[in-house]
Amino acid sequence: MKKTILSKVKKLTSLLLIGLMLTSVFTGCTTTKADSSNKKTVYRTLKEIKKSGKINIGVFSDKSPFGYVDKNGKYAGYDVYFANRIAKDLGVDANFVSVEAANRIEYLQTGKVDIILANFTVTKERAEEVDFALPYMNVALGVVSPSNKVIKKLDQIGAKDEVIVISGTTAETYLTKNYPKIKLQKYDAYAEAKTAFENKNGVAWANDNTEVIAFAKENKGYTVGISSLGDNDTIAPAVTKGNKTLLKWLNDETKALGKESFFHKNYEKTLVDTYGADYEEILVVEGGKVK
Amino acid sequence: MDKDILVSYIPLYKNALLLTLKIGWQGIGLSMIIGLAGAAVLHFKVKVIKNIVGIYVELFRNTPLLVQLFFIYFALPKIGVNISAEICGMLGIGLLGGAYMIETFRSGLETIPVMQSESALSLGLDKRQTFLYVILPQAFSAVVPGLTANIIFLLKETSVFSTISLMDLMFTAKDLIGMYAKTIECLFLLVVFYFIMILPVSIIGMIVERKTRYAEFGD
Amino acid sequence: MQSLGIDVLLKGSNFSRLLQGLYVALEISFVSVTISILLGLIVGVLMTLKNPILCFILKIYLEVVRIIPQMVLLFVVYFGTTRVFGMDLLAETSAIIVFVFWGVAEMGDLVRGAIKSIPTIQFESAYALGMNKFQVYVYIILPQTLRRLIPLSINLITRMIKTTSLVVMVGIVEVLKVAQQIIEANRTTSPNAAFGVFGVVFIMYFLICWPISRLSIYLEKRWA
Repeated sequence: MKKTILSKVKKLTSLLLIGLMLTSVFTGCTTTKADSSNKKTVYRTLKEIKKSGKINIGVFSDKSPFGYVDKNGKYAGYDVYFANRIAKDLGVDANFVSVEAANRIEYLQTGKVDIILANFTVTKERAEEVDFALPYMNVALGVVSPSNKVIKKLDQIGAKDEVIVISGTTAETYLTKNYPKIKLQKYDAYAEAKTAFENKNGVAWANDNTEVIAFAKENKGYTVGISSLGDNDTIAPAVTKGNKTLLKWLNDETKALGKESFFHKNYEKTLVDTYGADYEEILVVEGGKVK
Repeated sequence: MDKDILVSYIPLYKNALLLTLKIGWQGIGLSMIIGLAGAAVLHFKVKVIKNIVGIYVELFRNTPLLVQLFFIYFALPKIGVNISAEICGMLGIGLLGGAYMIETFRSGLETIPVMQSESALSLGLDKRQTFLYVILPQAFSAVVPGLTANIIFLLKETSVFSTISLMDLMFTAKDLIGMYAKTIECLFLLVVFYFIMILPVSIIGMIVERKTRYAEFGD
Repeated sequence: MQSLGIDVLLKGSNFSRLLQGLYVALEISFVSVTISILLGLIVGVLMTLKNPILCFILKIYLEVVRIIPQMVLLFVVYFGTTRVFGMDLLAETSAIIVFVFWGVAEMGDLVRGAIKSIPTIQFESAYALGMNKFQVYVYIILPQTLRRLIPLSINLITRMIKTTSLVVMVGIVEVLKVAQQIIEANRTTSPNAAFGVFGVVFIMYFLICWPISRLSIYLEKRWA
């Protein structure tokens, strides 16, 4: 890290000029230079990744038990377990990039990561922006609330109550679209949303049901009043739109891993402590095939 | 850039602007009150309180607003102090701004030589008149540039509100990018709206600065 | 009441990770501030030259920096450059670009102020002695300006450090992000960790910025 920063210093004078130009583009108002027609490809092909010896994978760093950093500073969780396997099978090092829910698409579209493996739910809107590989987990939306005031139906939420969501998640889009009257309190990071929820800043927290179930299991005094809301979706790795070589490799990998029940093993390593054995068949998607 | 998208986003940005302005200016109001009170305490060298004000100024001038807000919003509830995001934003701006305003007001009062109030008194003005007609106008003109700079600084600092779930301009942009990935349009509107919010302050500040310059001594 | 979560920092490598996070933030600040001061000196001198076109451009530059929050610039540069120019910037690089863009304006303005504060008579006497413009600046004006500038530039360092806390927003794992990660990883065992950990981060920033700003005030008083 030290060296990369220092080596950048030399280029800075020229980059500064670009910064100046950019601001003039944005402040010049009349010049709409945002022409997407002659854009270069931002992604790296499978070959380029292998050649560089490093794959950049965007994961959460504050979403236990899917993607988080343990007390020794190592990335861990269900997504990370898969990511490590991908890197191993590609024969490269995994470089984890900490992302937030709201900027996952951004990271792919700007080529800052090769793969997003951050509990990324497959939706139609997102599929227009990025390419999803085969799924590796099931998901729906869920709502958790304090046990002394459990919210079992969304119409229990009063006009003044606020529901905590994380910016850029499917819960946010779903509630905004289908329940525009519910007031949302939005956070960037999982850690912040959970802390705010613990601090009683909202009456409930809506998110992927996996996540809210985990929260209620790990923290006393909370109950998942609504365990399945909206459509049943899947979670899959995503790559930059058009990155066909990497996408194909990922799909083949997921299928191949199915033969050795990799995701069941992954569940038993990373999720079983939180969910117990009951959820294994419900959550895990093996070999990219949804039952 | 897609014009339709720009137009459809404008109402959202407008709401965000109003919220940012509301909380921002409440905070700035608070910071001025803190600033005046604190400056008075320092100017008249009130015992003990003077030291507390000093510690407060150092603490808040030497830590980032982001960290202050995180502490107030996420950490304080753990010891039972729970405040809403809006109040927290206002407090954050108020406390941070207060630390800067104190310095500004204090140095404003200090620019006026003691001789001035002495001469005014000897000319037969009473204390109230001296303060109103001699000290205040001059202190005001000395304070205006610093005050404008502080206000602009604080309005800019509101951009960190987004981290405590306040739907300010920054948050709206980030949120829209997260949901619909129309990055260029969102960032463009973001910059435009900050100009709408801060440019008037900058211009008014310049005008007031010019108008009050008459009170300056010489030059 | 349970523990306030400071004990969390003693577990594993948590505390040293927090320090590492702080180091990342500081490194970005120091690189940015060094470049800002160097370029700022040039820009400041340019501002005092009475070239109308240059003046106009610099004025716009200053006003842009004055109005747009650094966080917005950070987003524009980090996500916008790839969109508009198709080039990919590291988060660290974008952060340094933005802070330099901002710092140069600030520094330039300080330099301009310091030069302006030198009485015209000094310029005039120097010219009268037969020096050219370059000589006047190098031998007469700059040495005096520098003395006034040093405390102000030191002050810029603390402002840079404080502003660097924003880089958490573009995904750089610095001290605040590490704090969040620690809180998250220990949520079940110590639910109050937010207090201790954010409190420690607050104190860390203070312990770094405070001595620097005291130094700046001390020098200002001494050299005034």
